Amino acid sequence: MHFVSFTMASLSEEVLLVVKKVRQKKQDGTLYLMAERIAWGPEGKDRFTVSHSYSDIRCQKISPDGKAKVQLQLVLHTGESTTFHFANESTSRKDWEAAKELLQQLLPKFKKKANKELEEKNKMLQEDPVLFQLYKDLVVSQVISAEEFWANRLGGINNGESAACENKQEVGISGAFLADIRPQTDGCNGLRYNLTADIIESIFRTYPAVKQKYKENVPHNLTEKEFWTRFFQSHYFHRDRISTGTQDIFSECARQDEKGLKSLVTQGVKNPMVDLLSLEDKTLDEGYGISSALPSTSHASRTVKESSNFAIIKRFNHHSAMVLAAGSRKRDVPADQASETSSTDGNSRDSDFFQPPLKKVKLQEAIEYEDLQQENRPKTVALNLKKSDRYAHGPVPLQSQQYTTSQDIINSVNYIKHEMSNYKPNLTQVLSSAAASSAIAALSPGGVLMQQVAQQAINQMVPTEIQAELKHLYVAAGELLRHFWTCFPVNTAFLEEKVTKMKSNLERFQITKLRPFQEKIQRQYLSTNLTGHLECMLQAAYSKFHIWQTRRMMRKT
Amino acid sequence: MASEGEISLLVVVVDVNPIWWGQHAQSEPEFTLSKCLDAVMVMGNAHMAMTRTNQLAVIAAHCQDSHFLYPSKRLKGNDDTSSSRDGKYELLSVTNNLIAEEIRDIMSKTELTGNSTDTLLAGSLAKALCCILLKTVVFLLAQEIKSRILVIKAADDCALQYMNFMNVIFAAQKQNILIDACVLDSDSGLLQQACDITGGLYLKIPQKVALAQYLLWVFLPDSEQRSLLVLPPPAHVDYRAACFCHRTLIEIGYVCSVCLSIFCNFSPICTTCETAFKIQLPQMVKPKKKKPKLPA
Repeated sequence: MHFVSFTMASLSEEVLLVVKKVRQKKQDGTLYLMAERIAWGPEGKDRFTVSHSYSDIRCQKISPDGKAKVQLQLVLHTGESTTFHFANESTSRKDWEAAKELLQQLLPKFKKKANKELEEKNKMLQEDPVLFQLYKDLVVSQVISAEEFWANRLGGINNGESAACENKQEVGISGAFLADIRPQTDGCNGLRYNLTADIIESIFRTYPAVKQKYKENVPHNLTEKEFWTRFFQSHYFHRDRISTGTQDIFSECARQDEKGLKSLVTQGVKNPMVDLLSLEDKTLDEGYGISSALPSTSHASRTVKESSNFAIIKRFNHHSAMVLAAGSRKRDVPADQASETSSTDGNSRDSDFFQPPLKKVKLQEAIEYEDLQQENRPKTVALNLKKSDRYAHGPVPLQSQQYTTSQDIINSVNYIKHEMSNYKPNLTQVLSSAAASSAIAALSPGGVLMQQVAQQAINQMVPTEIQAELKHLYVAAGELLRHFWTCFPVNTAFLEEKVTKMKSNLERFQITKLRPFQEKIQRQYLSTNLTGHLECMLQAAYSKFHIWQTRRMMRKT
Repeated sequence: MASEGEISLLVVVVDVNPIWWGQHAQSEPEFTLSKCLDAVMVMGNAHMAMTRTNQLAVIAAHCQDSHFLYPSKRLKGNDDTSSSRDGKYELLSVTNNLIAEEIRDIMSKTELTGNSTDTLLAGSLAKALCCILLKTVVFLLAQEIKSRILVIKAADDCALQYMNFMNVIFAAQKQNILIDACVLDSDSGLLQQACDITGGLYLKIPQKVALAQYLLWVFLPDSEQRSLLVLPPPAHVDYRAACFCHRTLIEIGYVCSVCLSIFCNFSPICTTCETAFKIQLPQMVKPKKKKPKLPA
């Protein structure tokens, strides 16, 4: 919440609405809705105590209709909320409605400018707890600033904003939108149609002719309500649409629809593999297919029921075609005639271009598989190894062999042969107790073989909180050191600045984070040197900086 | 303890290199191959006696070939004339007798070819893996089977078996088979690597006469039980690479980017793949690639 004080006289903004007697926090005052922000000033004062620009407001909440207290609440992006109570006895309702309507119109305009970056950052922090911890360690404790922290991480965000908007999926039109209108009986021979803004939009997108009529007639000739009443009354809407020459404004629409339908039929289907004409609604009439069927395409031979069915089917087909066409048109289409002559539209005026080899392309697609073709890999050079037996030796160094003479070998073998020829297992005399006890002594803790055991329990000696804190310190230090070391080699002035800044950041980190941690472990009498390595890394960074600095001085002199 | 129905298979690979044993038997008469085999038998008996479902296999690694001491082909058709008279568990006495017979047989058939004096350890390990695989397949439908290999090593490492050895080690690692090593004489880098990679225990014992004690104390428990015991800590393994030109172990060296061969000195042409490398700066000969580079 910004406490901004402007004097009323220096208002250069356009004031859209002023509402008197609006209470905020139990104080009487006046609410001002301006072009870019909403502000409230207490009664009798010159300043605004509350001022929010529309881009900060996330949404507005209104008290329900029945409540005595008429309230309006603004919820900001930061989560704070401000409540305004319209306390004017006579006009409170009206004021409140007016304010609400205005806000409803203005907020969406400013909503898009809302800080997408901030949302993205919050999302990243929430998803990655390590990052969040790093952020807390470094930025919240002011070791480095937030911009540096986000500098490397938000690479694509600034560029991607426009792309993200483009990649949003468009909402299509429900095919049943007309059915959603759902007329209800009013109780006294009337019908009540529920039209929402969505349905109206769907109607306009699907039937551009209706949109055209709307533009022509509203608000000059008819009010919106009258327009829609006429719409629903006209035969255009109803299913038994018989286009008689009535004085209906929608009869022209009906004629256009007919034309559109005819052009659709003549266009046919683009896919050369599909042959719609071979499909026919044939029924095995009398004669079971043997007797030749009479072609029943003329209007005259149809019964009344047949013709009305025909009309409905025609209407359904046309409706579906229109819905599909509207869905495939781009969303933000400029409202001019030219864009409405797209070729897939049922109301098209000219046919689209024709691709001669379409059939050939489709056939080829069906026959060939990409991964079965010849691979065109780039030419490679073959590896030519001369002494490949070197790999087989591996890291076993040439040890000095103990040379044995062949006589030795012969002797040894004979001896062992002799020994083993009379071998009988003597399992009761395997081990003497002296040997056993000395072996046990060697294997017990502190014995010859067990020297390293005592040193291994370091992770059991240090409590887990200290371990966790040490991990955080390492992550934070690693991040800072990474920033530091990527500055080298220092080529540009920006890097020079950055490297100096990073060095001071490292020092600050050492003082604010590392030293207290060391003191803490000392207080707990832990003798192990947990931070030795961290210190070592920081020292290496400092010495590198020092070397670089002296070299720079030498170059300058 | 192993859970109900879980089978634990122990494969012992004993190095019976006759040349090494012959030489050492002459210098140390109190610890001979017989004693070593006795100790192995004690451990094998202990393993089988612990749970009824425990399985044992013993392989002798000779310098000519490797043999299965147990289970051997003599199992069938041997009318047991030498049944033990001391009321021992039948299985144990059969096992011991078989092992003794087999080793007598093997040693008597030792021939001097003079070619190799090295133990064929890699081959024995491969046979051990096959045996484990066979048993695993046999028992697969019934129960879980856990296996480990214990290598009792006497003679020195053979550098020629390096590739095979590494293949065996990685195969064991993939199959979750532990390789333990009990080394009698000199440290073996290959076995150290094997134990480190597969998660087994490596121990060079100070007193050979107490071999049985070491075997029972350190190598008898299986991997689950080992986590509950205080055992000798794992040894530090030397993973340094050896350079291709001198076979010295180096920490920082030069690697050819084409054939990945390691050298201790810079040379403008790699001798393995004959790729020429341009020297970038005349005064400073820069290495192609360094191992841990210290910031400075």
